[in-house]
Amino acid sequence: MGKLARALLPAFFLLPAAAQNFTQRGFLETSLELYPDTAPNDSSHAVDDDLFRYQASYTPWAWFRLAGAFDARFDTHQQTDRSADLDWQDRTLKRPALSLREFNATITKGKLTAEFGKQFIHWGKADILNPTDRFAPKDFLTVTDPDFLAVLAARVIYDTGTDSFDFVWQPFFTPSRTPLLNERWTVLPEAVNGLPLVDLGSEFPGRSSFGARWNHIGSGYEVSADFYDGFNSLPVFQGSFNATETAIDFVRTYPELRLYGADAAVPLRWFTVKTEAAYYTSPDHQQDEYVIYVIQFERQIKELSIVAGYAGDAITARTPTLQFSPELGFARAILAHAQYTIDSNRSVSVDAAVRQNGQGSWLRAEYSQAFRQHWRATAGYSWIRGDDSDFLGQFHRNSFALLALRYSF
Amino acid sequence: MNRLGALLVLFCSLARAQDARQIVAESESRSRSKSQQYEGTLEVIGASNKISIKRWEYRRIGSFGASKAILRFTAPAEVKGVALLIVNHTDRASDQWMWTPAIERDRRIAAQDRSTRFFGTDFSFEDLEERDVDQFDYKLAGDDTIDGAACWKIESKPKQSKSSQYTSSMVWVRKDNYVAAQIEDYSKDKLIRRIHYSDIQNVGGIWTPRTVEVYDANRKSRTILKLEQLEYNVPMKDEDFTLEALRRG
Repeated sequence: MGKLARALLPAFFLLPAAAQNFTQRGFLETSLELYPDTAPNDSSHAVDDDLFRYQASYTPWAWFRLAGAFDARFDTHQQTDRSADLDWQDRTLKRPALSLREFNATITKGKLTAEFGKQFIHWGKADILNPTDRFAPKDFLTVTDPDFLAVLAARVIYDTGTDSFDFVWQPFFTPSRTPLLNERWTVLPEAVNGLPLVDLGSEFPGRSSFGARWNHIGSGYEVSADFYDGFNSLPVFQGSFNATETAIDFVRTYPELRLYGADAAVPLRWFTVKTEAAYYTSPDHQQDEYVIYVIQFERQIKELSIVAGYAGDAITARTPTLQFSPELGFARAILAHAQYTIDSNRSVSVDAAVRQNGQGSWLRAEYSQAFRQHWRATAGYSWIRGDDSDFLGQFHRNSFALLALRYSF
Repeated sequence: MNRLGALLVLFCSLARAQDARQIVAESESRSRSKSQQYEGTLEVIGASNKISIKRWEYRRIGSFGASKAILRFTAPAEVKGVALLIVNHTDRASDQWMWTPAIERDRRIAAQDRSTRFFGTDFSFEDLEERDVDQFDYKLAGDDTIDGAACWKIESKPKQSKSSQYTSSMVWVRKDNYVAAQIEDYSKDKLIRRIHYSDIQNVGGIWTPRTVEVYDANRKSRTILKLEQLEYNVPMKDEDFTLEALRRG
């Protein structure tokens, strides 16, 4: 972490809470995952994960806002690093114990907004899969429950109310966090069974990424077009046999990616149609080139909200590489989400993904209840079924129950 | 028709028999302001009398029926920052987007979603929008008394039946100051919501109810909204009422 950031950060988080234009919120959450089955590389049945998150923003002038968020984590499964250093890069394989989740400055002048620093950027309109969302790396340590990571970027948006033009320049690459080798969400290919794996680390791209997006709000519809030129946040594993050590050495690389995408939302009388599609090309030919598309239908019936749709793909050029790709893994599938709000404090929800080949399926049911003004408890179960040859199906030993308790402030 | 804003105001000098549409139109015209802001405290009282407290900040810009508004929750902690952008149109139902900071995403509220309760309150998304007077047909249904004040009782029906969850509404407009005293919303003769306005005060020259009580007849629950720090004609900028403004908070 730079000296300037070190100097500024404590001052920011110690800004007086009583200041008129200072807002803060956060939570402390403990969650317990219980796995009935063990996996070949993971014998544990229970994983506890604790997270403290603090978010604050300070607006000294109407045209300027400073925002930041800080995470402190601990877990029982060594998925969280034990180092007490404050991490701001999000490039580590494990989750950092202490991290600067976001830290950015926003300047607003008329229709123009500029945002600099570590920030969250979301593109796309679909809810079940977002092929156009390229500045949004994720933490996939639990593959079925990913969490977004912020990126260090400069962003300029010109918003007229009906049209917005969004330009993003990301000088510093942030990778998605992939499952750890010695844990259940990594299923090793048969070819490496029995051979030790030697992790030679990651080769991060040297150049920056750029993206542009146009969004138009029409009378009864919304449409966007996007362009992205940068890198896939999901790695390709480059392996080689080390005869001296009788092991497989591997390194993570991040393929160049150029994307052309579009999305639309059309609210109709009976349901809302949302669709999103992106064509991924690989200028350095380090990954497949393909189209991913999503079409979803959304309907609200009183307190029941239903989203259902189909995610498909079409590979246009194949490159024989080993890549961790949950996007393709959740494609060629029917995806659905339903939530019923029982009352102002209680809700139940169900998420499902069923691959069209029938070789992989995932179903998650959750019940959530708030207590008083600050507490919320969640209990749920995720079922995963399928074959080892399928992206989803390969995790069939990873069905788990979840118990979580959150105190928000 | 704006249920939440409760801006149906007129002078009593016109207190003679009038056309129902004229009453509502004049009422809306007298309530007009360039902008409005307040801090709302909501008590949500469930059927079992369990009470939960929520707070939001509300800012509106523009003329009635074609205005834009942003409503942002400030409490309880778990919904703090959740916000709703409402873009009203004179010729059709509003466009609405909800921003959820926990997932950093905005979501368009579809037309058929607008009958849904808004974040655990007894307001529906539709109750938060403004509807131009010409989107409804009106009929004077007689005189009545609400809270001791003489009122015109006016029946209104949406001209485009698909544009509203309600097939009809009954509006009580006070004869002394032309403020809405009560609205009952029906779906095929079945009462869906009753909205009662009280604590009427003159704020910046506009008679405004400072307490709004919504009763959900299906759930037997109530939400009481109290408007605090209410101000009209505060300087605001149009660019603070866009999707981007919703996102940046």
